[in-house]
Amino acid sequence: MTRVPPEDRLFYYTLLPSAYIIIGALALLVAVVAWESAPALGEYGPGLYARNAWSPSEEGPGDYGLAAAVYGTAVTSLLAVAVALPLSVALAIAVEELAPRALRAAAEYLVDLAAGLPTVVFGLWGLEVLAPLLRDHVMRPLWEGLGLLPPFSCEPLSAASLFTAGALLAVMVTPYMFALVREAYRMVPRDLREAAASVAAAWYQYVLLMLSMVRPAVAAAALLGLGRAAGETVAVSLVVGNAFNIGACLFQPGYTVSALIANQFGNAYFYPLMPNVLFAGGLVLLAAGLALNWAGLRLLDRVRLYAR
Amino acid sequence: MPDRREILDRAAKAFIAALAVLAALPVLHLIGSVIVRGGSVVAEAGLRFLTEIPPPPGGRVYGVAPSLAGTVELTLLATAMGVPLAFAAAVLAVEFPESPWGRAARLLSRVLMEVPTVLVGMLVFALIVAPTGTPSILAASVALALVMLPYVTVYVEDALSRVPPGYREAGLALALTRAQVVAKILVPMAGRGVVTGVLLGVAKAAGETAPLLFTLGRARGYVNLDPLGPGDSLSLLIYDYAAAPYENMRAVAWGAAFILVTLLLVLYALARLAARGARW
Repeated sequence: MTRVPPEDRLFYYTLLPSAYIIIGALALLVAVVAWESAPALGEYGPGLYARNAWSPSEEGPGDYGLAAAVYGTAVTSLLAVAVALPLSVALAIAVEELAPRALRAAAEYLVDLAAGLPTVVFGLWGLEVLAPLLRDHVMRPLWEGLGLLPPFSCEPLSAASLFTAGALLAVMVTPYMFALVREAYRMVPRDLREAAASVAAAWYQYVLLMLSMVRPAVAAAALLGLGRAAGETVAVSLVVGNAFNIGACLFQPGYTVSALIANQFGNAYFYPLMPNVLFAGGLVLLAAGLALNWAGLRLLDRVRLYAR
Repeated sequence: MPDRREILDRAAKAFIAALAVLAALPVLHLIGSVIVRGGSVVAEAGLRFLTEIPPPPGGRVYGVAPSLAGTVELTLLATAMGVPLAFAAAVLAVEFPESPWGRAARLLSRVLMEVPTVLVGMLVFALIVAPTGTPSILAASVALALVMLPYVTVYVEDALSRVPPGYREAGLALALTRAQVVAKILVPMAGRGVVTGVLLGVAKAAGETAPLLFTLGRARGYVNLDPLGPGDSLSLLIYDYAAAPYENMRAVAWGAAFILVTLLLVLYALARLAARGARW
């Protein structure tokens, strides 16, 4: 037990309920999600995540499986990070090394703003603007030109697809990943920057050296971005297509765990077991989110230690 | 004739600049779309957009009054619950870092920050909506308070811990208690940072959708201010109307997005103004 001086004890005890509430909220969340998933996991076992089925029934137990949703979450968030990583690193380098002062301030403001915009506004824009644009100018040409490759092998019939969701998520996580990479970039001490500049003959070599110094932060940005993308709900559910497909082709509509919850949980209590199945989906989101963030934050700590 | 190195250098700069433009373009386009498409809907509907209820499918564009009132009420209630708790947790984490509770507040608020917000909605549904039998503005604002709590805690904690330690030590050396040090030294010195953190948390709560999906109830045919009854929010209206098959409902979604983003821009402008004067 820590010793709190007597004159501070009243103050300390007044503050304590806030800690109880934070701990309690987190404990309740884990307990409720685990408790409510138990019947679904008892019925199907871990195979719940490997079978693809969705036939709700008001009388019987119905037939459920989360494979399509888990697959869609993995595909869309990996695609998002694969696209957002080069973009956010390039933006960080451009802002730090290329942009004039005024442009730098504008970019900073824009990114702050983008990180704070409501996700549902991204969803509206994704559905009304981005999705038709991608279908006509990216998905269709890819299918016509490179249709032999499995990811592009089906005709993009609807604008909503796994590909669209991945692209929208990329737009959404880029400001967040940019902020992480840039913070690390700025933390590289001056003498190391000068050392890099002094051994590098050319600008691109200097940038490559700088990048090698912030490599853990880039990896952390990828992990944290993946966590964000996997948990995103409303924007994704508007553009992913909401169909239980599993397949290599990215141009077909799909599902994600979060979109499945968003669409089905509101009415789930009319069907036995369906709420439990959805909580089991939430359990995966929770576990994946916490694991990715733990790993990402540990990597970031390494950068901070080394920068000191 | 430029040498190989110079060519590579130029190519690298052009490549980086092109990728950076590609990264910034979508966000610019989004903000532009909200201003142009949403702004023109609101301009056309005029003041009615703020005072009338949403339209039936087809026909003209009506207003978003119930959703706007709901967003304001939800944000105020969530702020009233979330901010005092967050402030207490931040002070606990900064002033009693050795205590297990202080350490828990610090660590777990960071964990809570990264929980997908749709899970908070499911939790509040299971704990409040299901037992009481009805979605309500109160239940939804509890969910929003849980979402904003860790953000405000982390921001305020950050602001408080930026005050140079010498000032705190000077206060303690004058035999002030911790409470007096916080009230008379830390808060006045870090005040602007604290205000910025609170405003960013409020903005976060005002724009959230996922925690409201199962807790708020989508009552948008009338303006309801009773916290125990169902309500609506701008974010939820945008979510529902964005995918509607009727032109006029999608127009309302864009108009609502314009109003919501305008509200948030005001909050961000205030936060920036507060941050500009921050000394620490």
